[in-house]
Amino acid sequence: MPLWANPRLGLLILLVALIALFTALRPAFMDVTLTLVPLQSDVSVYAVVGLAQLAVLSLGHMNMAVGRMAAMSAFAMGLAYDRLGVSLVTGLLIGLLVGTLLGALAGLVISRTGVNSFVVTLAMDFALVGLITILYTRFTDGVAFGGLPAGMDALRNDTFADYCTGDVCGPEISLVVPLALVAVLAVGVLFRFSRLGREILMTGANGRAAELSGIPVRSRVVQAHALSGLLAGFAGFLLAANNGAFSASIGDAFLLPSFLGPVLGGTLLAGGAVSVLGTVLGAGLTQVIYKGLNLLQFQLDQLNLYIGLVLLAALSLDRVRHVVADRKGARV
Amino acid sequence: MTLVAENLVKTFPGVRALDGATLRLAAGSVHALLGENGAGKSTLIKILTGVHRPDGGKIVLGGAELHLNGPLDAQHAGIGVVHQERNLIPGFSIAENIVLHHLPRRFGLVDRARMRAEARRCLGLLDLDLDPDTPVSRLSVAQAQLVEIAKALSVDSKVLLLDEPTASLTGDEADRLYGIVRRLRDDGQAVVLVSHKLEEVFAVADTVTVLRDGRSVAEARPLAGYTQDQVVDLMVGRAYSSVRLADRHVDLRAAPALRLDGVSTARGHRDISLSVRPGEILGLYGLVGAGRSELAKALLGLDRITAGTVEVRGRPVRIRDVGDALRRHRIGYVTENRKEEGLFLDQPITRNVGVTVWRRMARAGLVTDRAERRLVAGYTDRLGIRISSPSQLAGLLSGGNQQKVSLAKWLAADCEILIVDEPTVGIDVRTKAAFHELIAELAGTGLALLLISSDLPEIVTLADRIAVMNDFTLRGELVNDHDYARMSQAIIRLIHMGSRPAGDETA
Ligand SMILES: Nc1ncnc2c1ncn2[C@@H]1O[C@H](COP(=O)(O)OP(=O)(O)OP(=O)(O)O)[C@@H](O)[C@H]1O
Ligand SMILES: [Mg+2]
Repeated sequence: MPLWANPRLGLLILLVALIALFTALRPAFMDVTLTLVPLQSDVSVYAVVGLAQLAVLSLGHMNMAVGRMAAMSAFAMGLAYDRLGVSLVTGLLIGLLVGTLLGALAGLVISRTGVNSFVVTLAMDFALVGLITILYTRFTDGVAFGGLPAGMDALRNDTFADYCTGDVCGPEISLVVPLALVAVLAVGVLFRFSRLGREILMTGANGRAAELSGIPVRSRVVQAHALSGLLAGFAGFLLAANNGAFSASIGDAFLLPSFLGPVLGGTLLAGGAVSVLGTVLGAGLTQVIYKGLNLLQFQLDQLNLYIGLVLLAALSLDRVRHVVADRKGARV
Repeated sequence: MTLVAENLVKTFPGVRALDGATLRLAAGSVHALLGENGAGKSTLIKILTGVHRPDGGKIVLGGAELHLNGPLDAQHAGIGVVHQERNLIPGFSIAENIVLHHLPRRFGLVDRARMRAEARRCLGLLDLDLDPDTPVSRLSVAQAQLVEIAKALSVDSKVLLLDEPTASLTGDEADRLYGIVRRLRDDGQAVVLVSHKLEEVFAVADTVTVLRDGRSVAEARPLAGYTQDQVVDLMVGRAYSSVRLADRHVDLRAAPALRLDGVSTARGHRDISLSVRPGEILGLYGLVGAGRSELAKALLGLDRITAGTVEVRGRPVRIRDVGDALRRHRIGYVTENRKEEGLFLDQPITRNVGVTVWRRMARAGLVTDRAERRLVAGYTDRLGIRISSPSQLAGLLSGGNQQKVSLAKWLAADCEILIVDEPTVGIDVRTKAAFHELIAELAGTGLALLLISSDLPEIVTLADRIAVMNDFTLRGELVNDHDYARMSQAIIRLIHMGSRPAGDETA
């Protein structure tokens, strides 16, 4: 592939250019506590949100319920911390299990009935919206859980700079970053090197051929959706950690960014090819734009307008790139 | 000259598909375009039909230079085509596909009655008894190919380009097509025929152009001046000696590796009994629509078996799916339909070949690209697959090379029982011989092979026994004595004989 056709490179250049631009306009953009550390946390959350969508885009499917799966996971975590008083890790695992099961359920319905994933997950999203409201009114004051486990506070407020051995302190990187990094690496390895991930991609590329090559296509569909639920749950946890609360609104804003990251990064909606690195860059770009426009004091609705325009522009560019590539090495 | 394409050059990333190829067509003649897999035949056809734009050279039609900006331009210029790969729209009906580019309209709406009538007329030319309203997705590979030919016949053209039109057809259907080709020639059309079946080519073509590595090494010569061997030498670029298959010895007392006893399926097979021993090649011959591929698919659990027993190595089994067949019973199935079922066109060659072996290659669930590449290199060498790099997408390979990739996948899978469905469709003479050698060699190592083929010479060359199928039942089984004339007569007789109790030995 020629260099100019590589979407990752384009993203990286755009990202650097925007950072330079925003810094020039508002030097506060380089302020560590005001901008950079919160930006890191946001990118971490939305990179994982993007991965949750990427997990099913690999099949050529969609998960319209990413946000609600995250919310259900977060609810389970909040409940476990608040009522059972479990440790940080135990609660996290409980929540992830809930997310995974929800994803698997969606996958199961899709693979058994053959109904389009868009429809199934959209219906699921609808049902879960109702359920979440009911659950939060029943188990909390209606908004958020009160009890939080030990360590949650550190996740929210600390950076590695707060931890020193002798005179040497860590860098100004917030604690959620390595957590997200683990997810990124795991998903990257899964789709690049593991048999499971590769078989999911092959299923996405050509389901019929996959079946005739001995791939258990139905289980792969269920597994990809389960992974999507798991990652959505993890994103829910990271967001709750950033916000310092397990609340009903977690996941509300996940849907659009979940597509933005992967699609900007060059993941095909048609399935069969994913880019984990691209998704991280895509998420980074989106959050930089949010933060930058925010600093320039744009209103929220204006913000959304611009983000929407950026998405449209990126997608059109992608199309152009494809057409040009096709001209050069025409494929029929 | 009706059409002259001169010094065409076309490069794709990593390959020079055409490198100064020239094609001169005269009206009222059938022109054979020959060459090995990857020689550039389809690329030339695609340039003449506006699918690709040439990087160099020019096309002259009826004295005027022709600039094609797309397939429609070619159609308007009077150039009709049947491409090597199917281009029908699966969800549309046969009739809709046939008249796709010249829909009969009335008051701005599609005139369905006229559309059907036109479709029926074109199907009639090929003696095809198909309902024009059938969705194309329900057709077999051969039927789809015939519909595509009918589609090309539906427009009047000065030049008709046929890229391996008979690849998945049996003798009868091919004969019908060639009847039409002769008629078109007599009406003054120029017909180009790309085919790897040299017998057919010599029977119907008048002139020949041979491509080698994108260059024309013989330009518009009278075919009568050549023998088949000379043409093959030209294609290969050196004297080519045909191979003789090594004698194999089948242990007749060995227990069958695969045995079907009175099998009936939901697809309509009735009372099918056959068996293959280790080291044996059982040929399964039949006309299009005889139900051979469907039987293979039912065996693999893709369709329901309603009665009878299937035994693998002496034990009755119930196979759930292809994975089950591969891993538990070591049965592999090379599909006939490579584009839809055999290959992942948008994936690299390495993954296409590696997909059946990842489970074996994986260490702790992980597969490295290096291990995969090593495995693939072995098969590309062995099968002579022409690729520019192992990470090339399978969809960009020439037709014959795609076929090799889909076979390589199953060779890599290391099966004990292999069902091969039309393995040499669209494969050039030299490679076909290499394939035959390979298949015989595989049988020699103790593999049990069920060879489904519509290529009678191929079956007679390779098989130890030949089972003949028609209309979803077995018409009989013959022991192959490799005498083509005698065997082909016996086989045709079996097919045309009314129903007989299946499975009885007739030899
Ligand atoms: N779109 C494409 N992109 C890249 N390479 C291509 C493309 N189309 C064809 N090629 C390459 O060009 C060469 C010629 O291919 P072509 O399909 O013309 O061969 P062919 O003579 O028709 O062979 P076959 O008998 O196998 O059909 C091959 O090496 C093939 O891999
Ligand atoms: Mg070709």
